[in-house]
Amino acid sequence: MTDVQPQLTVNQAALRARRKATSALMLSLTGVMTLLAVVPLLSIIGYVVYRGGKSLDLSFFTQLPKPLGMEGGGVLHALEGTIVMTTLAAIFATPPGILAAFYSAYHPNTPLGVALRFSTDVLSGVPSIVIGLFGYAVIVVPARHYSGLAGGAALAILMLPTIIRTAEEMLKMVPHSLREASLALGAPEWKTALSVVFPAALNGIITGFLLAVARAAGETAPLLFTALGNERYDVGMIIRNGVAQNQSVLQIIGRIVDQPVDSLPLTLWKYAQQPYPERIEQSWAIALVLMILVLALNIFARLWVESRKRRLQG
Amino acid sequence: MRKILFVLVAVAMLLSACGGAQPTATPTAAPTAAPTTAPAAVPTVAPTATPLPPGSIQINGAGATFPLPVYTEWAYAYQYVDPSVVINYQGIGSGGGKKAIIDGTVDFAGSDSVLKDEEYQAGKDLQMYPILAGAVVVIYNINWAQPFPADAKIPTLVLDRQTLVDIYSAKITKWNDPAILALNPDLGGYLPDASITVVHRSDGSGTTEIFTKALSAFSPEWKTNVGAGASVQWPVDKAGNGVGSKGNQGVAAAVQNTPNSLGYVELSYAVSNKLAYAAMRNKAGKVVQADAASVQSAMADFAGAFDAKLTANIVDAPGEGSWPIVGYTYLILHTTSMEDCLKARKLLEYIRWSLTDQGAGKRAAELGYAVLPPAVRDNVLAKLGEVTCKGQPVLK
Repeated sequence: MTDVQPQLTVNQAALRARRKATSALMLSLTGVMTLLAVVPLLSIIGYVVYRGGKSLDLSFFTQLPKPLGMEGGGVLHALEGTIVMTTLAAIFATPPGILAAFYSAYHPNTPLGVALRFSTDVLSGVPSIVIGLFGYAVIVVPARHYSGLAGGAALAILMLPTIIRTAEEMLKMVPHSLREASLALGAPEWKTALSVVFPAALNGIITGFLLAVARAAGETAPLLFTALGNERYDVGMIIRNGVAQNQSVLQIIGRIVDQPVDSLPLTLWKYAQQPYPERIEQSWAIALVLMILVLALNIFARLWVESRKRRLQG
Repeated sequence: MRKILFVLVAVAMLLSACGGAQPTATPTAAPTAAPTTAPAAVPTVAPTATPLPPGSIQINGAGATFPLPVYTEWAYAYQYVDPSVVINYQGIGSGGGKKAIIDGTVDFAGSDSVLKDEEYQAGKDLQMYPILAGAVVVIYNINWAQPFPADAKIPTLVLDRQTLVDIYSAKITKWNDPAILALNPDLGGYLPDASITVVHRSDGSGTTEIFTKALSAFSPEWKTNVGAGASVQWPVDKAGNGVGSKGNQGVAAAVQNTPNSLGYVELSYAVSNKLAYAAMRNKAGKVVQADAASVQSAMADFAGAFDAKLTANIVDAPGEGSWPIVGYTYLILHTTSMEDCLKARKLLEYIRWSLTDQGAGKRAAELGYAVLPPAVRDNVLAKLGEVTCKGQPVLK
């Protein structure tokens, strides 16, 4: 007994030491890898801030582009275009996306449900340039002109898979008992869906929605063949002209969306190809603005969900 | 029962959530919205009566990226000439521009490459108008074999037509090749015994088309073996010293970052990136630099060479002062089928202004483009006068 015990402890000690060493090794390995994974993001952010920060000032957000060699000038047209087209895309994509998610969450094993899930997966894998060409063939050619409307529709197709998949997951996570309780109290199914299941899943749905918006706001390819771009796009001027000509609100909205429109990534893409250093500088600044926009959307989505969670719990 | 209820939920939610803005309504809204807004203003406002409100006529064009900077500037300046017009030109590439004008999705297109016969057929009444010309230059980056004396200016590399063909055919592979040394006596002892990395475009491009047209004109052998086009099979790729790069910017960057390399770009990219570019010994045997004067000289050499379609091949010009690698950039219009006659008139007025206004020409020259010599310009203006809208000539 006395012979065995010390030997055991030696063994145990050795074992423990080895385990500790392995643990330390793996921990540091995962730590290093985590750092490696974070480094690209941080270095991108750092470099874009460094290169883009120089040309950022107020006029960058409030002025239309000026010709080369002239001081000042901004990307107001692209900022407005991005807002117009992502708004359109959100209006187009959200209702069908959420309804499809309801169907696919309620009837996952019906043929239509399976087909829906399959086609959503396929759609999310379609290269965005193909979606742009689709928009060109289906909207731009029949209408015989490029427009923000066509761009918004292309972005909406791009947003659909994200919205459907996240909303479906969130709807599925709503406890079955909640639904049954509502039905047992005599609420019809539509009322249950609308006022019990939907609000319970709203947090996640909105997160998914904002992520989809952020993705759409950063896309170039679908817009090349649909929105085209427009350096002279000026929503303020359209509204002023419309008011001066006594146009109705619908007519003014029509003029805002039914002409070629620019966007931040589109302008960035165009400027970065030009041989002039001023344009290259500005394209870095656009990259910075775009990055801040997308980051802000992401952070806002998270904060919003957190605060709602706290309110629901408290 | 459940299914029916679900459909009801679906309908209810569609109505409550998206209200009037149903997505199904949009594709039909687009075609109807255009005719109601634009032509409605046409009959009420007589052409010569009260001025149109600023920005009320939107003219859209797309295509070649090569003239994009100057087109953008002209469009900006033109708002002070005619405030009612907004000209929007987007650089989506010559191929994209041709497709757009054939589909009728733009009012005008820009292109560095000439329409093919089947494209003329598809577009029915298309016409190309030369607007500007530009030079393609050979940029280089050499690690000199020995440093130059501190106060000496580094001489510009000189190439002749055959040497350039031989470099791109991989027949000349070293910087100190006797053919290059013979053209550059000043650089003897400085040109390294290093192989030449030859950079070309990997994407289809008008620049490549102009460049290979020139090489085909320089050498019958190149013409039969490789030919000219927006993209070709480069002999240097087979030989293993060729490198493809995307866009003018990509070629410029590849040459900048690769020692002992050489590539071709539009002149403005070489100038703005401060790259060294070679002088050429032209057909007349004179050494010329690429600039506005030598490009204009090339255009003037071929002023009588326009075919019925108003296109002309202007590489390898015979004049003493002519740069040999030159191409036109064109605008493409529909000549008889434009539907909005007011817009057609405003568009043609803009094009006429850009061809004839002194300030417009001066700005183009400052940006490295060559404006048309008077003989060519008169040809183009006469052709513009033939454009009709609903059977009536647009420009009076």
